[in-house]
Parts: sequence; structure tokens; C-alpha cells
Amino acid sequence: MARTLAMFTDTSLCIGCRACQVACKQWNELGMEQPEWTGTYQNHAHFTDATFRLVRFIEAPGASPSGDLAWLLMSDVCKHCADAGCLDACPTGAIYRTEFGTVNINQDVCNGCRYCVSSCPFGVVSFNEHTGTARKCTFCNDRIHNGLGPACAKACPTESIQFGFRDELVAKAGKRVESLKAMGFKDAQLYGADQKGFLGGLNAFFLLLAKPSTYNLPENPKVPQRNVVVDSLLSIGSAVLVGLGALLAFRDRGKGDGGGHA
Amino acid sequence: MLKTPEWGMMIVLYFFFGGIAGGAYFTAAIADNVGGRRAARVALVGYLLSLPLVALCGLLLIADLGVPSRFLNMMRMLKFWDPMSLGAWAVGVFGLFSFVSSVMCFGPFEHLATLRRRIGLVGMLFGFFLASYTGVLLSATAQPFWSEARLMGALFLASGASTGMAAVSLILALTGDGPGHGLARVKHADRYSMIIELVMLALFLALLGSAAKPIVSGHFAPLFWGGLVALGLVVPLVLDFVGHGRKALGAVSAVLVLMGGFILRYVMVMSIQS
Repeated sequence: MARTLAMFTDTSLCIGCRACQVACKQWNELGMEQPEWTGTYQNHAHFTDATFRLVRFIEAPGASPSGDLAWLLMSDVCKHCADAGCLDACPTGAIYRTEFGTVNINQDVCNGCRYCVSSCPFGVVSFNEHTGTARKCTFCNDRIHNGLGPACAKACPTESIQFGFRDELVAKAGKRVESLKAMGFKDAQLYGADQKGFLGGLNAFFLLLAKPSTYNLPENPKVPQRNVVVDSLLSIGSAVLVGLGALLAFRDRGKGDGGGHA
Repeated sequence: MLKTPEWGMMIVLYFFFGGIAGGAYFTAAIADNVGGRRAARVALVGYLLSLPLVALCGLLLIADLGVPSRFLNMMRMLKFWDPMSLGAWAVGVFGLFSFVSSVMCFGPFEHLATLRRRIGLVGMLFGFFLASYTGVLLSATAQPFWSEARLMGALFLASGASTGMAAVSLILALTGDGPGHGLARVKHADRYSMIIELVMLALFLALLGSAAKPIVSGHFAPLFWGGLVALGLVVPLVLDFVGHGRKALGAVSAVLVLMGGFILRYVMVMSIQS
């Protein structure tokens, strides 16, 4: 595997221009969508099958350094998790990990079972009615294989979205948190940078100015497949009970019709 | 923030028919192996019922895909930790067992009854799998309620058994029991399954606590409490105990159990998606 690539989204630098969102649409030839009124400048409310980058506009009372209302901006994207629920869920192998550590959906293999949609802890993967397949951010797979960074990072005018080798970006992000804290942003923190943390670390990680839940991000997302072993064992227990019941009922007791009440 | 898979009625029906198919086959296999000649008709009906149902299951699954013509892509790999992958394989393998067992109930194969019984014992395991993996599949997602429900698979299995037995008993009641009173034995076994299902359901709710909200209160609550718990489990159990083997009451109770099995899947699948 090549050295892991990453995107680092520093939300403290985002000005909400949505150049990333537009660049993503253009490069990936994503279709037009009807705008929707979300109560803020944000459009759309959630990721869709044609919106892979989404700038979130969040009004958070009390979250600014002075204790006032904070207007938080965050360019959200697929996290390209190291332990990716969508990848584990995919029964066709359409979802795969690239040599750069990113997670991609092969559109020629996906048959649209939608299990990945329900398995993403961040609500990223979306179903496209027209192609009948699951869609999400590709980390501009075509671009990174040709020595270019993702379109969103390229378009960002403030370097809020940075692209590079993961280890270098994490080191840089750590320093940025320190300087923000010195500036009074006491809740400044990284989200998904730690490879020992949740989901084995995110290859698209973030610098947040408030706690994750303020951004509607789960504080401690888990891999969905963690439940399989326990639930399967409990099911086997249920099978044993039901099997014993049937054995009792059907066993030949040699007299009468054997079908009376227990 | 989270996205639901938008699984609809086709998936609910698949879960329902998959449960009956697995339950009917398992009932048939037990009857075939330990029931002796009296239960021969139970075995025949159970095996034969599972075959069209599992075929229907396959069709429902394929029809629900975004690109149905690519259904064979499921066969590109086998992931042991992935209920969707295992399930796709299990439908195929169980279908094969169901076919072989059904064929072996007839004419030229009758002298191979011992082999048929052995095959039934193995196929039964796949039947159990088909009835229960759908619950594990729901719990292995990122969705609230589904992912918090530890006994979803165990509950679906008990329900698969009770609906499978109810379906077999209903067919026996309608087509004539035949010699040996196999019907009474299926009803007897179904009572055990229903009691196990009730206990499972109580544990399921107790373990979930407040996370059970989507089904125990709100929009789906009347369906859950009225349709599943009362009409789908308690009433049929009472009917069976007080009915003293009266055929008509037995048939009514079987229909109610089937309805309850459908409501169980409907409520579980739809409650967090609407």
C-alpha cells in the first residue's frame, strides 16, 4: 500500500463560500438538484447522491470564545474511515479500499442493495435512483491517481481543506489546535485524527471549534459489524430452545396421539 | 444525519416469508427425524411449503435491488462477518436443500428416507439461519434502535419457527390431517415456539429500555401492542389452550400467528424509516 493520503478540513478557516461544493459537483459531473430551504445558508440539508461535499452552516449559542453565539462553518465530506462500516457491509465487493487508504464504490459492480447506506455512521452513502447504485465521495479517485489533489481541496481559497500525506497533515493539525487554543478557542479539537481512536481514524479528518455533537457529528461512532458475533450467538441460543420445544412435541411417546396439552 | 436504507414492503415480505420457509423446513426435519410415521404428513407439507417460499424470497430480494440484473454480484465474494453476504448465499444453499428434500418425499426416492432425514438435519441449520440472520442484519447497522437491539435475530428466529409451524398446521387443517394426528403435534410445537417468542420479546424490550421507543410508543405502538403482542401472540396462545384441539379455533389461531409474524417484521423494519 502506498503512503496513506488524507484530507484535513480545518473548519476554523472555512468562510462558507462553497467553492468546494461546486468544484466537487463539476469535477465529478454530479447532477443539478432542487435547492431546499434549511433555515440557513446551508444547501442541502444532508449529503445526497449528487452532493458529496457539503458546507454546513451551524448557529451554536454560547460556543464562541466570548460565550456568544458562534456561527460555525464546516465543509463536510465522506470520512474515508480506516474501519469503514460501508466497506464491511458491501456484499458485492463494489466498495473497496484503494492503495492510498481511501474508500471508493465501484459503480460497475454495485447492485444497489443499500446495506452500506444503513451502515454508514455519518449518513454519507446515498442511493441514486437513476443508476440504482450507492454513491459517495470518491476522494477524486481519478485525480489522486494522476498526481492531483481532490477538486474540493484544489478549489478551497483559504486552505480550509488541505490534501496530503496523512502523517504530515496530522502533525500540522496538532500544531493548529495548539495555536487556536492559545487564541482563546478552548474547545478547538481534532475529529478522527487519532488512529487509535474511533473507527481506526478517519482519512478525512477535521479540526472543530466546538464539541462534535455541536456539528451533529457522533461523539464516538462505532463499526456496525461489532454486533454480529453476539447477536449470532443469541440467535443460536434461540434456535436451541425452539428446537428442544419441537423435539418434545414430536418425539414418539408410543401411546395416545401424543398431541395433548403440555 | 444518518440515512436509512429505504427498505420497503418487499424486504418486509422477504423477512416474513424467509422466516416461514426456515421454520416450516425445520419443523419438517424434526418431524421427519423423530416423529415417526404419524408425522410423515407434517414432514411432507413442511418441506413442500418451504420450496416455493424460498423461491419467492430470492425473487423479492432480486427485485428490491437497485440494479436487479447484477444480483449475481453477491456471489463474487463470501464475507463471514457480513450478514448481507452470508444471507445471499444462505438463500441459495437453503433453496437447494429445500428442493432436494421436497423431491425426495416422492415416489422413486422413498426408499432413501434415511438419507432424506440426514439431509433434513443439515438443511435445518440453513433454515434457522434464514429465519434469524435478517434480524442480525438489522442490528449490524449504524441505525438507532436496530443497532441497539441485541435479540433481534433471536426474536426473528422464534417468530420464524412459530409462523412456520402455524403455516404447516393451517395447511394440514385445510387439506386434511391424514392418519396419525400430525396436526396436533405441530400445534403442540407451535405453542412452545410462541411461548419462547413471547419470552424473547419481553427480554428484547427489557434490554432495549428507552431505545425501544420507536415501536412501543408513537405511531407504530398500536400495531405493535395490538397486532403483534395481543392478537399475534397472546390470543392465539389462549385459543390453543382453551380450544382443546378444535380445528376451526386452531386455524384461526394459526392465521393470527401468521399475521403477528408479518407485523413483527413490518414494525421492526419500518418504524425507524418513516
